[in-house]
Amino acid sequence: MKRTVGLIGILLLVASIFAMAEGQQDAGSKEVVLKWPCIWVGKDSKAAEVEKLVNEFNAANAGKIRVEIEPQPDYDGYEQKIRTSIAAGIVPDIFTLKLNPTTAEYYKSDLLMDFSSEISGDWKGSFKAGTLEQATIGGVMKSIPYEIAITPIWYNEALLKKAGVSYPKTVDEMWTAFDKLKAAGITPASQMTGGTNAWTSMIWFSHFAASIGGPKVWDKPLTDPVFVQSAALLKKMYENGNTTADAVGGDAGVSGGHYLAGRTAFFSNGPWYIGRVKSEAPTIFANTKVAPAPAAGTYKNAMIGFLQANIAAGNTKDPAKKAAQIAFLKWMTKPENVKRIALSSGAMFAVSFDLTDADAVDPLMKQFYELSNTSSFNVMHLEGARGAEVVAEFGQQLAKMALGQATPEEFMRAVAAKEKR
Amino acid sequence: MRRDGSGTLSRHGLGIGAFLAPVLILYVAFFIYPLFFIGITSLMEWTGISKAQFVGLENYKRLFSDATFILGVRNNLIWAFASGFIQIPLATLVALILARRVRFWKFLRTLYFLPNVISAVALAMLWKAIYNPTYGLLNGLLGLVGIQGHNWLGDTATALTAVIAQSVLYIGYFMIIILAAITNIPDSLYEAAEIDGASVIQQTFRITLPMITGTLVTSITLAMAYGMRHFEATFLMTGGGPAYATTTMGIQLYNKMDAFRYGEASAIGAILILLGTVLIVVIRSLLSKNDPMAEAAQ
Repeated sequence: MKRTVGLIGILLLVASIFAMAEGQQDAGSKEVVLKWPCIWVGKDSKAAEVEKLVNEFNAANAGKIRVEIEPQPDYDGYEQKIRTSIAAGIVPDIFTLKLNPTTAEYYKSDLLMDFSSEISGDWKGSFKAGTLEQATIGGVMKSIPYEIAITPIWYNEALLKKAGVSYPKTVDEMWTAFDKLKAAGITPASQMTGGTNAWTSMIWFSHFAASIGGPKVWDKPLTDPVFVQSAALLKKMYENGNTTADAVGGDAGVSGGHYLAGRTAFFSNGPWYIGRVKSEAPTIFANTKVAPAPAAGTYKNAMIGFLQANIAAGNTKDPAKKAAQIAFLKWMTKPENVKRIALSSGAMFAVSFDLTDADAVDPLMKQFYELSNTSSFNVMHLEGARGAEVVAEFGQQLAKMALGQATPEEFMRAVAAKEKR
Repeated sequence: MRRDGSGTLSRHGLGIGAFLAPVLILYVAFFIYPLFFIGITSLMEWTGISKAQFVGLENYKRLFSDATFILGVRNNLIWAFASGFIQIPLATLVALILARRVRFWKFLRTLYFLPNVISAVALAMLWKAIYNPTYGLLNGLLGLVGIQGHNWLGDTATALTAVIAQSVLYIGYFMIIILAAITNIPDSLYEAAEIDGASVIQQTFRITLPMITGTLVTSITLAMAYGMRHFEATFLMTGGGPAYATTTMGIQLYNKMDAFRYGEASAIGAILILLGTVLIVVIRSLLSKNDPMAEAAQ
């Protein structure tokens, strides 16, 4: 017994000596370490440049600040991690979030740093008009707008040519084009009801709603005729072979997979998908064009645009840590650094930067930039406007409507019922 | 066990306590405390971020007035009964056959058990591909015999059956348990039965099944418990869709947490635990009545 007690005593002594030594080392160097659970890792198109920028920042601040990336390649897993961390009162030093009515809950806590007084002068001026306002809720800005996106309609020009049609400007033209495509043995459009938000179909729905309802469409209740009409159009997109047989129940892999395989002529997604099309389906990439959705209403040339990823920081009372966080965020939002990520990945950003003729911009990316600049107005998609629970219901009820078990009115009533919660 | 003095007894008790303590501490920390936490938070409206507010039984009322939740409860029960009363009979049948030492029985035993060492995610992905209406193996095979393909996971009429079917086919785990029970039956019983002229079927129904009833009851209980808490395959294959056709309480719990409704998520968790416990107790007490070995032991 005495021997056991003695052994435990020795172990405790050794452990405390190590702990003291480590503490002295930290106190001596005063290096601030910032942990960044990061989604832009692995195969993500932004991964390489983000890593380079972090390394350059660390080299420039050697001995003072060190940013450590914690790789989180799975987006759902990443969101779960952030959510549970915040719920437990532990916030990463740096992290990203998709700002929507659901994640806006984060703003209610004191755990996130408020940037409203920090972002000023040149830093403030570097952001595109309206983006900082979108990140401000209740007078506080607890995240910085970073990646933005538009989700136009993608189309395979070669398949359209094969069917003898050109890109439809209106929904009526679109139905005619669909019939011709089907006659040529081509499935017109990719759709999906699965995943957490029925992404592809949710984007089509948002396009229709924007064209029918205009820039203030999301101010209307979801039972408004604008949305019922949009739902009716979406229903038709699931009928008569207008989409693939596996669209009901299909997820993003199904929807994107058909487009990448050249089985469907129309698709919708953001610029982050460019890298994938380019690497996995070079022929499809060469034939891909992007355009505003065919007009379903009186508003033409509308675009679905939104904040794709905001950067946030954990609140801290340590002035050195706060300074380090601000320094790193300024580095990551510096126009020339953002430009590097944009050019290498094809992603779009809330920070403005100049493009010159010497810059090698991907041709498809160029189309995204042009669309972004020439659209008559930008509105959010359904998820951005109404949150996670509403889009989850949207996907489930869409399957019901697509299977003929609900009318567009019933569909919208069911989706709106979730919103009332 | 020596009980020759109070000192020995006390040391003995201390020893037992020392061995039980680590597990007991872990059990309290990771089961009893979370259970208590679920019970408390199920009475709260809590986003996980803002301050929790006591709302009494409001979360429970809300859930029981939601048709989707009732559908989830129904699906959970279907899962439990399918696991207990389709998977176990299948496992028993295969175990009975293999226990007869048929040709390649060792190979077949390993083959049936193999899916248990493969990740549930990989199996779910595999079946998702098999069920795919465009390039799936199932529709391909049906096409060979002139039967038109179907969107198995995309049709509300077939999705639940399709997900359950792929799961109950994996009988290996329970087959091994039942096979072990059968091999423990003394050979002398079968030898005596053969002398008396009993057929294989008679031996199975008069000797084997009565002798392994206890194991079967345990297997059914375990299978139903697994069925009740089912989540992974459905989440990966259908996400609870289409139109909530395959939703389960586990998926609804996940979705509530995803929408920061931790109070309702806890209420689902509490109902799931309660429902599971009641179901298991009822099933065990009903089935144990037919266990001759249990009666003999009393």
